Parts: sequence; C-alpha cells; structure tokens
Amino acid sequence: MQMEEPQVQKIAIYGPTLASILQRFSSASGDADGLLFGHVSRITPTLSDDDNSATSLTTVATVTSFFISGTINSFYNSSGELNLVSLQNLVSSFGKHPDNLLGWISCRRKTPLRPSMREYYVTSNLSRTFLNCSIFILFSTPLIDSLIHTHEYRAFQFSKITNSFEPKQIDVVNIGPAFRSHYSSFCPHSTFPMLPCELRGSSAMVEDSADSKAESSNHAKSVAKDQKELDNWALGFEVGKLNQMLGSEAANYTENVEKLYENMLAKLEGLARLVEKSSALVLEQENHNMKLRYKVAGLE
Amino acid sequence: MSADSVPPLISAQINYLLSHSPFSIKVDNAWSGCKNSSLLDRFTLVIPFCLDFIRWDVIYNAHYPLAAPDIIFGPEDDNFNPLLGDGEGDKKTLKNCLSDWNSKDPTRLMSLIHELRELYSLYQKKRVADVDDHRLKFEISTILSREGIEMYLSSGIEKPEEVKFAVPLIGMDINRMVHSCTWKHQQKIYLQVIFPVSRKLAPAPAPHLKLVSTPELKALFSIEDVKLPSWLDGMCLAEYLPALEETIEEQILEAVSLIGVRRNFIEALSLVFGRPVEADPVFCRKTSALVASGVFTFLVHFHLSSQFPKQQPALILQSSQHFNSQGAPVRSPLITDYPWSPRWELSQMAERILGVLELQEVLQRDSTSLGIDLDHVVAAK
Repeated sequence: MQMEEPQVQKIAIYGPTLASILQRFSSASGDADGLLFGHVSRITPTLSDDDNSATSLTTVATVTSFFISGTINSFYNSSGELNLVSLQNLVSSFGKHPDNLLGWISCRRKTPLRPSMREYYVTSNLSRTFLNCSIFILFSTPLIDSLIHTHEYRAFQFSKITNSFEPKQIDVVNIGPAFRSHYSSFCPHSTFPMLPCELRGSSAMVEDSADSKAESSNHAKSVAKDQKELDNWALGFEVGKLNQMLGSEAANYTENVEKLYENMLAKLEGLARLVEKSSALVLEQENHNMKLRYKVAGLE
Repeated sequence: MSADSVPPLISAQINYLLSHSPFSIKVDNAWSGCKNSSLLDRFTLVIPFCLDFIRWDVIYNAHYPLAAPDIIFGPEDDNFNPLLGDGEGDKKTLKNCLSDWNSKDPTRLMSLIHELRELYSLYQKKRVADVDDHRLKFEISTILSREGIEMYLSSGIEKPEEVKFAVPLIGMDINRMVHSCTWKHQQKIYLQVIFPVSRKLAPAPAPHLKLVSTPELKALFSIEDVKLPSWLDGMCLAEYLPALEETIEEQILEAVSLIGVRRNFIEALSLVFGRPVEADPVFCRKTSALVASGVFTFLVHFHLSSQFPKQQPALILQSSQHFNSQGAPVRSPLITDYPWSPRWELSQMAERILGVLELQEVLQRDSTSLGIDLDHVVAAK
C-alpha cells in the first residue's frame, strides 16, 4: 500500500454534509475528532458559457459522509499511533470499505488553524495505512468570543514524500452550473434492490440456445433473490398478491391491507418509543461519564 | 468549582513547569476550549530559545483529564514534526512520554516541553546546516566541539535571511563563585552572533555581535560594560572567542572581588553610622542606616554600583517623621554629586559621606530642601 496518493486539486463537500459536521462539532462538549468517507475522482469540467476555467482533468476528493466521535483519541492514542482494530470497526460499522476512507477531521475550539503535533502524526499514519486516505480537515472557532458565530475550517492533503501538509481549497457543492460536473459524475448506491422490469413473453423471442438458457437461469436466480428481499420490506405482501385488489376478493383484501398498515404504524410507534427511551439512557450515561471525568480531574 | 479556573491536575503540571524548569518559562495566556464551562485548559507557553522566545500552544482537554496534551507550534515552524522526522531514538522518548502519560504526575509537562525543546534545537541546527553559504558551513565545522550552541534560521518574506547563533561563553560556574548566592537559575553569558546569509562568493560581511547575560547577573556585573573586541576581516568565531572569553573571565573575577570591597565598605560605614538597619548580604549593593541629628531622625539608603569604588554610592535620605499627603515618607532625590575619590581609605569614605549628610541636614533645616511643605507635615515633635 506504499503507493503515492493522487494529488488532489480540490476537496468537494456537500453543503448539508458540511453543515452537519459543524452541527456535531458545536454540540460536542469539548474537542472531537472523526472520519471522512468519500471518493477521489477525475472530473472533466463541462464547457459552459459562464465557466472559462481550463478544460483539463481536475482531481477532486469528494466527501460524501462522515463520522464524528464526540471525543478525542477515538481511533489513535495520545502519541498519535493508530488503533487499527477500533478504526476497522468504525469503518465497517458505517458499512464502508477501507478504500472509502478519505481522511479525518479534528475539531478543537479556540485554537490556531494549523495542524498540531499529534494531528501531523495521525494523518501521516493514516496515509501510510490506507489507500487514498490523506485528507485532513481542521475545524476551529475564533480565539476571541464575539456575538457572531463563526466557524473556521481549513483542509489539507498530506504528502508522504515531503511529509508535509498542503492547504487545499474546499468547494461546497451546491446546485448551479459550476457544479454540473459533480452531478454528471454521480453514480447512485442503494441498498434497495433493482426492480425486475421484465415483460412476460419476451423470453419467447429469445432463441433457445444452451448459452442463453444458463444465462437466463442465472438471471432468474438473481431476480428471485431481489424479489425475496423486496418481499422482506413489504412483510409478506408479495407483489403477486397485488392482483387480489381486483374482483370479488377486493373487499376482503382491502381489510387485510389496512390491518397491515395498522401493524406497521404500531411497530413504528414502538420503535419511536424505543428510540426515546434509549436516548434518555444515552443522555443519562453521558452525564454520568462527565461526572466521573470531573471526579478524575479533581473538579468536584 | 470556581469560574475561570484551571483544573487541578493541569494546574499542578503548569506550576511544576514554571517553578522547576532550569530556564525560565512563562505562561502568556490561558483560555477555555469547553462548550459550557470556563475551565481553562489551553495556554500559550513562552519558551526561551537561542536568546529569543518561541511560543507554543499547549492544548489540554478539561473533559478528558487523563489524555496527554497536544502542542501547536509557531506558524513559521510548519516543518517541525517531532513525531515524524528522522532520529529514531529521540522520537521514541517523545512517543513514550506521550503514550505513557500520567496526568497525576506533575513533572510530565516539564519533561514533555524539555524533550520537545531539545528536538526543536536539533531541527533548527539541521535547517542551518542545510543553508547554502560557505562561510556558515565553515563556522559550523570549526565550532562543532563547543557545547550548548543554539542556532536559529530566521527567514521572512520581507526580511533578509539570517542565521542566529547563541554561543555560551566561559566554563566557570558563576553561581558557585558568589558566596551564599540566592540565584535560582544558573547564571550564563552568551555571545549572540547574527550572520547575514549570502549565497554569493563575495567576501562575507562581518556578523552582528552582542553580549547577553541572564537578567539576574546584573546584581554582580553589567554585561553592557564589556567592550567587544573588534571583528577583523576574514575572521571566524573560533579565532574570535578565546580572546573575548579571557576578557570576560577577568572581569567576572574582578566583579566577584569587588563584592568583598563593598562588604568592607558597609562594615566601615557601621563604625560611623552605627549598625545598618538593612543590608544586602550577598552582593552588598544596598545598605540603609538610621541617622539622628537633634530631634530629626532619618534613614540613609546607600546604593552601591557594581563599579564601586570607582563610582561613588548614590544616596537617598528618607525622613522617619515627615509624610506626604499620600502617607508615604518624604524622600530626597538621588544624591550622587558630592566630592569623592576612589583612592581614599574606606573609613575616610564613610566619614566624608557623614560630612556631606550633615551639610544636607543643615540645608534641610534652613530651606526644607527635602521638599517638605511644613503645613502638610505630620510632625512627631
């Protein structure tokens, strides 16, 4: 994994993502750190009347999601050595592949916007352990309190060759012609399976060769798998049952559907109550932890 | 828990650092990084380096008292990454210092700062060694054997590039030469040498030279009184230093012997003025005596310069009976202008001063030359 990372020209972050990072930072009681997920892509700027920049390929690191721990030293120790086990756990708990790890974030209040001694070392270690993981975004607040809330941030890319940080421009992605390229390079990821959109009888048109038979049986298998997953979402109401909405069984069927919805609502309400209860527990635990920490610090 | 307080564990570390560091470190500013409380958990340290100061921000976290602090170095030291760089051995000590952090041990912050300052010194030396200047390379190679030299490469966009050297002079332990001295820090004298960096082959200009001493040394002798030998064309430090060190050594020995002269003078004063009310027993730079003339009693403060007996003592008379409107005792201005000869015997000096004072006192009685407005005087008569 000792490959040199591609030189990133810009770091792109979606407005809502940036806003939620700032929100997480300002609600944390102290300093916090976190991870950045996303991808590095080469974007060809689209030609348009209101864009006269060069048409060469730009390498952009796009931040698509993040994780903020709410504490410090969440995946490294005081001397900046990575804790690979907790790092891997964090990455997989977000359903991400280590290759999606773009870098990390450090949020510290009222400090200069320069990487600290530990931040240098953590970034260096990350960039040597993971592919494409060389981005570091620093968040801070002004040294002097003022009535206006200001969030300061600065992004860097770490170079393994020179062992130094290079400041990078942050593009907050918004809708508009300047960002068209972002949307054209968009490729959707979803856990929702593709809906089988097959026309009945179309198989009759296909010539009956052995090859296509094997292919279609493979295809059928994957369709069945997707169907099963879909049915799982609809709780036993298979798509096939939809034809019962017509004819004599319709009245009976509507009743069943209503019952289904009622059950779903009850489930949702139960879930909401569960979330509420666990949030209360989490808050209680956090307060307790805080008290313990104050006790350790001799602040009681 | 009071507002704006430093958490006890952090405050213990700072206090230890401030009181035990062999070089004096100051805390410039302390502030809080917490959301809802004002626990002061980050501060700027001003650390002496190469006869200048470096400012490092120490970032603790009041909410995570067991975690080691983090350091943000100065904006011009972007490339100083003590945890990264070369030199496995040094890095290991620093890493151990951080990973085995024990917040209950008050000595930890001091060892961390010392370790970092050591690494910073090596980093600056390496930067200076990388400067492409023939004279500089020669200077470094010839004074390599001297211990404790600190170097600093200063470069700004507007300023010309220059290299600063802080060369500790003379091997003698001044603290041990002064009998029962009260200095907390080891007294040292440095030669500051500033070389302008020139990358051309043209003859290198003379460096800028300045003598600097630890501030408390003033009590013994003033470094400004030392005349620097002139720097000849084509000279190097290795040639220049021995003669300078010899001069300074002589002057220090003389300054130490002058303490004895001053002590004898204070003793001679006591034969004329009686036992001193107060005297500086270590450097013998100050003494005060109580003098009575008729009903008028007053204190005489003697200030002896490090040049005594070449320079006469400066005197201040302070009434013990008259006070100004603020309630402070009335004092005369500094009296330095009276007949004096360094060749007199010490006892003669004491008697002459008494003569001067009697004259002053007569004047005072006639014209209140001490500046007393008699209407406002609270007299004990």
